[in-house]
Amino acid sequence: MITGFLISPFGAPYMARALVEALLLGALCGAVGVYVLVRRLAFLTDAITHTVFPGVVIGFVVSGKSGIVPGALVCAVLAVGLFTLVAATERIHDDATLAVLLTAFFAVGVVLVSRQRSYTADLTAFLFGHVLTTRRDDILVTAAVAVLAVLVLLAFGRPLLAGAFDREWTRASGYRITLLDLVGNMLIALVVVAAVQAVGTVLVIAMLVVPAATARLLFDRLAVIVAVATGLGMLGAWLGLATSYAASIDHGVRLAAGATIVLVLVAGYALVLLGHGVRRGVRRVLGTRTAVVR
Amino acid sequence: MPPPVNDAAIVFSHASVAYGRFPAVEQVHGAVRHGEIVALVGPNGAGKSSLIKAVLGLVPVVSGSIVVLGRPPAQARRQVAYVPQADTLDPDFPISVAQVVLMGRYRRIGWLRPPGRADRAAAEAALATVGLEHRARDRFGLLSGGQRQRVLLARAIASEPAALVLDEPFNGVDAVSQEALLDAVRDLSAGGAAVIVSTHDLPLAQSTCNRVFLLNRRQFAFGRPEEVLTPALLRQAYGGAALAVGDHGLILTR
Repeated sequence: MITGFLISPFGAPYMARALVEALLLGALCGAVGVYVLVRRLAFLTDAITHTVFPGVVIGFVVSGKSGIVPGALVCAVLAVGLFTLVAATERIHDDATLAVLLTAFFAVGVVLVSRQRSYTADLTAFLFGHVLTTRRDDILVTAAVAVLAVLVLLAFGRPLLAGAFDREWTRASGYRITLLDLVGNMLIALVVVAAVQAVGTVLVIAMLVVPAATARLLFDRLAVIVAVATGLGMLGAWLGLATSYAASIDHGVRLAAGATIVLVLVAGYALVLLGHGVRRGVRRVLGTRTAVVR
Repeated sequence: MPPPVNDAAIVFSHASVAYGRFPAVEQVHGAVRHGEIVALVGPNGAGKSSLIKAVLGLVPVVSGSIVVLGRPPAQARRQVAYVPQADTLDPDFPISVAQVVLMGRYRRIGWLRPPGRADRAAAEAALATVGLEHRARDRFGLLSGGQRQRVLLARAIASEPAALVLDEPFNGVDAVSQEALLDAVRDLSAGGAAVIVSTHDLPLAQSTCNRVFLLNRRQFAFGRPEEVLTPALLRQAYGGAALAVGDHGLILTR
């Protein structure tokens, strides 16, 4: 019964490709999401997802589906470069800069997409993705970004950690903080670009933030949080796809695959949060010390 | 008159420090020798933090100069250790005490190599210097404010610096931690490091430091504590808010 639910949907090639793509994205987003979490970049990530949007549209207009990733990439690199450099001058507050960039880029995207004939259908695809139409090339792009992410985290992991924990000290130690910001932000941008086809520009933020936040609720150690967030991202991707398949095929309730993955991840977060609250409540009632001893 | 430069680690020559067009502190003139502990004393907003950031090369010197270990501040960073105020850091950050101290070794470890045995040993030894070796595996944020300050000092010690710069390390710190901090700082200076520490605690500056900069937007005095921490000079710098008590201790009414 459970194996039927978890395995049998993925016999069809299109479902198998969707699963591989979703698992890769789940792992990638989980790991990079921990950086987003500890560096408090959820809003920046959100902004990147919006700034990628016009690139997606332009890429699609110029050369159809295969134009989406290059278009998104150009826009993401442009936006992240702009943002990092403007923020480095420290004249303007980060979130104001972001808000300006976010809305400007997004408006361009909407204007472009509104000139298309199939306005609503295209918009939905760009915003929420189409994991079930994943092609071999999409998987290769995601795999390449995953390899790059591992390399970046290996090479820059320590200074990125230091910069997230104690920015002033990291600068004082002679690290070039703007360069570190650029590396970290570009990594996030690449993940967003890789995820655009499958889950769209809006839902990727959930895949980045939710597994990392859930893992943080459960554990205190960074290495453990990274491992657990990666695992949770993959688990959510699998369960989400399976659930969406079961609902659509077996029960005739159409559930969008990408959104179902996000809902599964959020449900996991909610459960853990609830567990936390209950545990804390029980401790308070029992009057035991809540100091964590490890 | 040039400041004394013999065996001086950090030399201020009529240095003025500014954020953009806003001067923070002006005309700082004096020197910190190797093995000396020098205090920056003055009221809030006097420019102590700005001067510290200028020594670290984080805030520009707009006139005069600051020379650190014979170089411009930005080029001396790898040999200068900075101890920020512990309460500026996020207590929820998922990082262990040992990981924080190991950061002091990052510049020596390099980019791709994992930390070696020597790095771990140096970090452990540094943590022992501040008396917190038994807390190595705890999350940084679970420690008290004073203990967190000691961990940040341990991180600085682990980098084996030639100069040490501490920003208000004794603020809100309990007596035990204050003693531990002072002992570790004295050890480091006895080993030849030049130490600059900003503080509000005048008796502490008097009892611990070899020299004192008295600042309030500009330099009011520089010299040995008994020459600088006098009622007359303090009244000038603090704008009449200083009050002498007995021969040594001073209380500031604010």
